[in-house]
Amino acid sequence: MGAISMDDIATIDQDECVDCGVCLRSKICPVDAFIYEIAPWPRSLRAIFSNPIIEHKETRVTGRGTEEMKTNDVTGRFKRGWVGIGIELGRPGIGSRFRDVDKVAQAMARLGAKFEPKNPVTLLMKDVGAGKLKEDVLDEKVLSAIVECTFPIEKIKAALIALKEVARDVDTVFSVDCINVVEPDGSLPVDKILSELEIPRYINGKTNVGLGRPLAEGGN
Amino acid sequence: MTHTLHRRGTADDLSTDYVMLCIRAAGINDSGSDAKLQEFLHIAMHHDPKNIGSVRMNMYSHKPTEVIANAHAVAHAVFDNQQAVTQVLSGLKEADLGLSVVVSGILDPVNECCQKAGLKRHTVEFSLGIWGKTEKLPSNDILEITTMCGHAMVSANLVESMLEDIKKGIKSPHDAAKELTSHCCCGVFNPARATKLLAAIAEPEKST
Repeated sequence: MGAISMDDIATIDQDECVDCGVCLRSKICPVDAFIYEIAPWPRSLRAIFSNPIIEHKETRVTGRGTEEMKTNDVTGRFKRGWVGIGIELGRPGIGSRFRDVDKVAQAMARLGAKFEPKNPVTLLMKDVGAGKLKEDVLDEKVLSAIVECTFPIEKIKAALIALKEVARDVDTVFSVDCINVVEPDGSLPVDKILSELEIPRYINGKTNVGLGRPLAEGGN
Repeated sequence: MTHTLHRRGTADDLSTDYVMLCIRAAGINDSGSDAKLQEFLHIAMHHDPKNIGSVRMNMYSHKPTEVIANAHAVAHAVFDNQQAVTQVLSGLKEADLGLSVVVSGILDPVNECCQKAGLKRHTVEFSLGIWGKTEKLPSNDILEITTMCGHAMVSANLVESMLEDIKKGIKSPHDAAKELTSHCCCGVFNPARATKLLAAIAEPEKST
């Protein structure tokens, strides 16, 4: 993040600091001068979204995300015929203001995105239908924040094209992921769409191996 | 919380990097889940994991017994080969813990591991890479190290500092990797892979 500068003493740029807690946990300061004061709203969001050992009281998940596909065998959050998209603003390691999160969320909302209700970003929206965040959070900076939504598979092409457009308007980076339930024949329908759009995917990814119980209705 | 996705690297390099995760579904199968997470970690420990962790601890910040005793909500284990992944999956199938299990790694080999263990994949998550102002990113060889901690607790500046120490002979690549690993609280960082990557950057003549 580069929020700490060193001269004769270390100085923290409070506007750039995202309250991730790394400097405290590392015990790097030889005179224990770093302290963390619990911040009032809206700065309190910084630690919730940046420090992975803080459990969000609404999502019951530590860190900035949700269970997403990790428990999909049990929750059925992502269904056949639908594709999940996660857009993690600020990742890897650059950080993001909520102003940029707001831009991306609104771009997805315009295409009818169904936002994950338990996601911490969704909880900051004043108008979920429009993907609009509350004004008082927009200048806050966090290590990363995830816009998490689903689309019917026939809309995923338009969503990814819109994402390419909004990528030009943000002052940070974002990592994109795409979630699909495996078909009975072992195929992943979204793979063909990504090829058509010439959007490359990494060779590595995440696989839920279906060991969770009870299986969600309609689960394999 | 896609903290084990988006790890960057070449096919050869990523073939030594698999993260397994066991997690309860909040409000559905939480009852007794911490004991089941401990069982997951016990099974993992039989197959030479390169790291294990839960939310606040990993085996480089605490003893493995402490990590296991304090497992809560989610647990992780990192392996450097497919055979270990297959064996752990087989062990988990037999143990029938009822918690969800996710494997992060190169997708085709992970599918092979599932098939050998008698499992069918349920859901897959692809990484479509990094979009936006990518000119703000550090170099790719630094990203290959930092992206092993999906929560970004291992900073590019710290990696640069470790590389300087290795070049000056103050630290070995192994010791530098251990220090980086301790910052990744939940234990998904792969110190064995980090050692190789640090050595390749700082001491290219020794790595070739």
